[in-house]
Amino acid sequence: MNSAILMFERTAKLYKDKIAVEDEYEQVSFSGLRNRALSVASGLLSVDRERTGLQPVIVYMPKSAKALVCYMGAMYSGNPYVPVDIDIPMKRLQSIIDNMRTGHIITDAEHVKNLDSLNLYDIKPHVYADIVSSEIDEYAVMEKVSLVIDSDPIYVMFTSGSTGVPKGVTIPHRGIIDYAEWLRDTFDFDENTVLGNQAPFYFDNCTFDIYTMFLTGAKMVIIPEVLFRFPNKLPEYLTEKQINTIFWVPTVLISVANSGALENIELPYLKKVLFCGEAMPNKQLNIWRRHFPDLLYANLYGPTEITDACTYYIVDREFADSDPLPIGKARRNMRAIILNEEDKPAKVGEIGELCILGSPLARGYWNNPDTTRKVFVQNPLCPYYDDRMYRTGDLAYFTEDGNIIFVGRSDSQIKHRGNRIELGEIETAAKSLAYINNACVIYDTDAQEIVLFAETDEELVLRKVNLDLKKIVPAYMLPGRLVCMEKLPLTPNGKIDRVLLKSKIAKREA
Amino acid sequence: MNDIEKKLFDFIKDKFDIGDDPEYTPDVNLFDYGFVDSLGAFEIISFAEETWGVEITQRDLTLYPMNTVKEIAEVISNKL
Repeated sequence: MNSAILMFERTAKLYKDKIAVEDEYEQVSFSGLRNRALSVASGLLSVDRERTGLQPVIVYMPKSAKALVCYMGAMYSGNPYVPVDIDIPMKRLQSIIDNMRTGHIITDAEHVKNLDSLNLYDIKPHVYADIVSSEIDEYAVMEKVSLVIDSDPIYVMFTSGSTGVPKGVTIPHRGIIDYAEWLRDTFDFDENTVLGNQAPFYFDNCTFDIYTMFLTGAKMVIIPEVLFRFPNKLPEYLTEKQINTIFWVPTVLISVANSGALENIELPYLKKVLFCGEAMPNKQLNIWRRHFPDLLYANLYGPTEITDACTYYIVDREFADSDPLPIGKARRNMRAIILNEEDKPAKVGEIGELCILGSPLARGYWNNPDTTRKVFVQNPLCPYYDDRMYRTGDLAYFTEDGNIIFVGRSDSQIKHRGNRIELGEIETAAKSLAYINNACVIYDTDAQEIVLFAETDEELVLRKVNLDLKKIVPAYMLPGRLVCMEKLPLTPNGKIDRVLLKSKIAKREA
Repeated sequence: MNDIEKKLFDFIKDKFDIGDDPEYTPDVNLFDYGFVDSLGAFEIISFAEETWGVEITQRDLTLYPMNTVKEIAEVISNKL
């Protein structure tokens, strides 16, 4: 198969009138999705008669079935889609546009005015209601689909960059096809599967839900975002919608467990609980397991650069609350190796950098060859041919039984409530504010809080600083604590003394 | 402000260390203006449920906006 949209083509023929996706506002059948997506694709292609080369489609829409239609429209037109958060700060959207320069952007009537403040280069703006009404030219569309090869990009997902410029992870169709087929075969997904989608569409965990639906005819229920603020209300929703499979970020599962909502309830439909995106503590997993011992629990691991998940562990034994949960072994068609500081394979128990190989690897970062070359490198263990490998920057070790245990990061990237964040991106944003002379951002792992140390002459209030930062970085990157200093402490060679600031946090002096 | 609004207003002011900020009003969007982070919404609704003995269901949460003191108070008073 050359394109992931062909998985959908086959499924849409089998399950025409079955509901494919449901959001707060509507239910859309497989054939309904297909018709709308063909319209969008036809609309895109009619603009592109004079243009050659890939025309990526930035989708700037609220999380909804409509957004999904746009992604599919991009695929049917032979182009990758670029999902962005509807709450994205305009500066960040501009930097993504600066990176893409050509293609399309689709938004809704409510947000189209936001585009006025942007320099769109050769990117053609569209309003959803218009483009979805385009006349379908199925012949032209299917011809485009037939020209796609499986190493062509399916989506470009932007992730935090340490210098403040987000990086566009460019994933091939092959990655998604492999992932969806492996998920189906490993977790027995089929047309009776009902997925409760939590992952935002600008976060690659959503590919689990979208492409399982594409491949198997499962139904995808987009859970209203507001409910994730109220974890104790989620079980009730799962039952109402008869959801039997969830793939959530651990933060949500943790808060459901901590809310006490699992006491004295039944979850008659739920069968499979999978998670990915950050470490899942056994303490809260054990609460789930105590109340619902018969569910399948699986821990998936993977950075965006390898197509969502590359290792998995199906929970098959008891763990003490303080034990780390393994991230398991590489999934089908992927290889996980751990290299020590000499770039030699680490021995059992020896901590090294986790490196990933396989065809689901990203093609690189969009229009960013320098950063790509730093992390997509030749496998040092293979002198015979080009063997591309992704250096995750994650530290890990192998256990005796071949499972992998994640230990931490080798740099200043963090996971905060499941979001991947480069602390440098927040620092760059903070330093750009007129009243902050210098800034250092440290993650308080105990309190799970982003702490901003600001060198300033003023008395600053966190809320006001955050209102300004929100114009530059996404809301999930906003600091939870602000420490104002006349001067940031420096090391003898003149760098900010992060170790000292970290110890201030540890000693609760900051 | 009615009684429900007043009680909610004071609870949020206290709980989230807002102090005497002139921008904090019963009509301000608590989340957009950073008075409460997204996790704080849960504490507010739990307080409301306990104080007035009502249950705010997942349907209420998806049907009605509850971003300001006024909006939250209205949902509660409709249940009393």
